[in-house]
Amino acid sequence: MSLKKQDEMDHNAWLKKQDLTVIETAFLTTLIWLDKRLRIVDYLELLETMYYRANLQMPKSHTEQYDLDNKFWYWYPLYSLGSLSIIAYLVAAITGALLGFYYSPSTAGAAAQGDPTAAYDSLVLIMTDVQFGFMLRSIHKWAAQFMTAAVFLHMLRVYFTGSYKEPREVNWVLGVVLIALTLFFGFSGYVLPWKQLSFWAAQIGVEMALATPIVGEWAAQLVFGGFTLGQATLVRMYILHVFVLPFVVTGLIALHVGIVWVQGIAEPH
Amino acid sequence: MTDDTTPMTDGGTDGEARTDGGPPATVPPDDETPTWSERKERSQGLAQLTYQYFERSRREDEELRAESTYVERDVLGFPAWPHETLRNLAITSFFIGIIVLVAAVLPVHFGAPANPGSTPAVILPDWYLYWSFGLLKLNPINPGLEVLGGNILLGNEFLGIIAHGIIFAAITLVPFLNKGSARRPVEQPFWSAVGVTGVVLSFTLAALAIQNFFPIGLDLLFTLTFLLPAVGGIITYAVLKTMREGYMYDLNRRYYMLRPPK
Repeated sequence: MSLKKQDEMDHNAWLKKQDLTVIETAFLTTLIWLDKRLRIVDYLELLETMYYRANLQMPKSHTEQYDLDNKFWYWYPLYSLGSLSIIAYLVAAITGALLGFYYSPSTAGAAAQGDPTAAYDSLVLIMTDVQFGFMLRSIHKWAAQFMTAAVFLHMLRVYFTGSYKEPREVNWVLGVVLIALTLFFGFSGYVLPWKQLSFWAAQIGVEMALATPIVGEWAAQLVFGGFTLGQATLVRMYILHVFVLPFVVTGLIALHVGIVWVQGIAEPH
Repeated sequence: MTDDTTPMTDGGTDGEARTDGGPPATVPPDDETPTWSERKERSQGLAQLTYQYFERSRREDEELRAESTYVERDVLGFPAWPHETLRNLAITSFFIGIIVLVAAVLPVHFGAPANPGSTPAVILPDWYLYWSFGLLKLNPINPGLEVLGGNILLGNEFLGIIAHGIIFAAITLVPFLNKGSARRPVEQPFWSAVGVTGVVLSFTLAALAIQNFFPIGLDLLFTLTFLLPAVGGIITYAVLKTMREGYMYDLNRRYYMLRPPK
C-alpha cells in the first residue's frame, strides 16, 4: 500500500487506468503537468466562453450549403492558393533564418570596383562550403518564387469568382497591400547577394524614387540610405528583408486570415 | 498531536469578526444595472445612434434567421481529425515536396559581383516585377506639348511611377465599383473582360520589359502591348455575353432562392 494520498483528483492514477496510446498518454501527461502549474484549463474555458460569446460558428462547407457535392471539386485547388502562399512563406522563413546564420550584409572587402564584397563572398561561402548551403539557398529562392506566384494566382481567383464583394472589400484592400509588400520582399531579397543584377535593380529603384517629386528624395534616403548605392543600401535592404517585412507581413497575413475566419469563405457556386 | 475532531486552524473563525472583508460587493444589484433601453435613453448623439443601430441590426438578424431555410447544426462539414488534418497534411507535404524538387532540379545560379562602374547589357528584376519594369518603358506615350516644341511634361520615370499608382489604385477600387450579387464570370461579362485585359496587360508589359529578347520591332511590340489586352478583353466579353443566356438558364435555382438579386 502506497503512503501517497489517493483522492479523486489523482490525475496520474486516472491516467494509468485509461487504455491510451503512446501519443495520447504523452499529450495528457504534458497537459496535466502544465495545467498543475499554469492552470491552463481556466484559460481554455475562458477562450471557449469568448468563442461562443462572439457568436462564431464553424463555417459550413460551401458544397454542403449549396448541395454541390460532386460538381465543384475541380475548383478546390484554386481555393487553396492562399494557404499555399502561406506555406511557401513559412518555408522561405525557415530557410531564410538558416541562411541568415551565414550571410553578412557588408560591402567591405572589395579592393577595386567589381571585386567581390563581403556579402557576395558570404553567398559564395553558403553555396560552396556550407553543408547543404546550395540546396538551402535554392529552396529559399524557389519558395519565394512559389509564394509570389501563389499570391498572384490567389488574387486572380478572388477576382474572377467575385469574392471581393461586400462584405469583403476591406480584405481585398488588405490583399493588395500584401501583394505590394510581397513584391517588395522579393525585391529586397534580390538585392542582398550584391551581384551585378542586384546592384542595377537597386539602381533602378533609386532612380524611380528620385524621379518622384516632393517625397522622392526622402523615400530614397529612407529605403536606400542615400542617392548612391553602397553599404547603407545593403544594410537597409537587409533589415527590411529580415526584420521589418517579416513582422509586418506576418501580422497582416494573420489579420487577413482572421478576417476570412470571421467573415467565412466566399462560397464557390 | 491534537485529536481528530478539532479542526486545526490559526485561531478559529468568528462569524462576527471577519478579516476578509465579507462577500464581494463589486456586482451591483439588479435594479441598479441599466437596461439597454435605459442606456439608449440616457446617452446622446453618436452613442445613442450606435445603440439604435445595434438594436436594428440585431432585429434584422433575427428576422433574417427566422425567414431563412438555412438549417443550423452542431457539426458542420468534415471532422477536423482525421479528414481535414490528413488532407491538409497531404496538400502541405505535396507542395513543400514540389518546392524542394524544383529547387533541386533547377538550382539557383549566381552572377558576377556588383560593379558600379560597368552597366550590364541586360538589367532585369525577378520575373514577378517584369510588369513593373515594363511600366518604366512607356516613353513613347509620354504626353508632350506642341507649344513647348514637343517637350514632355513629366519625366519618363515619373510617368512609370504614375502608371504604377494608377494600376494599384484601379485594383484597390474594384470592390467599390463592382457591386451586386453576381459572382461567376458569366454573370458579369464586363468585369471578367476587365480582368482578362489586366492579366494580358501584365504579360504584354512583361514582354515589353524584356524587349531585347523579342525578335520583333520595338514599335510593333509597343503597339501589341496595348492592342492584345484590348483584343483579349473584347473576345472575353463577346464569349461570355454569348454564353450568358444559356448559362443563366442552367444556374442553380437554389442559389437565387438563397441570395435573391437586389
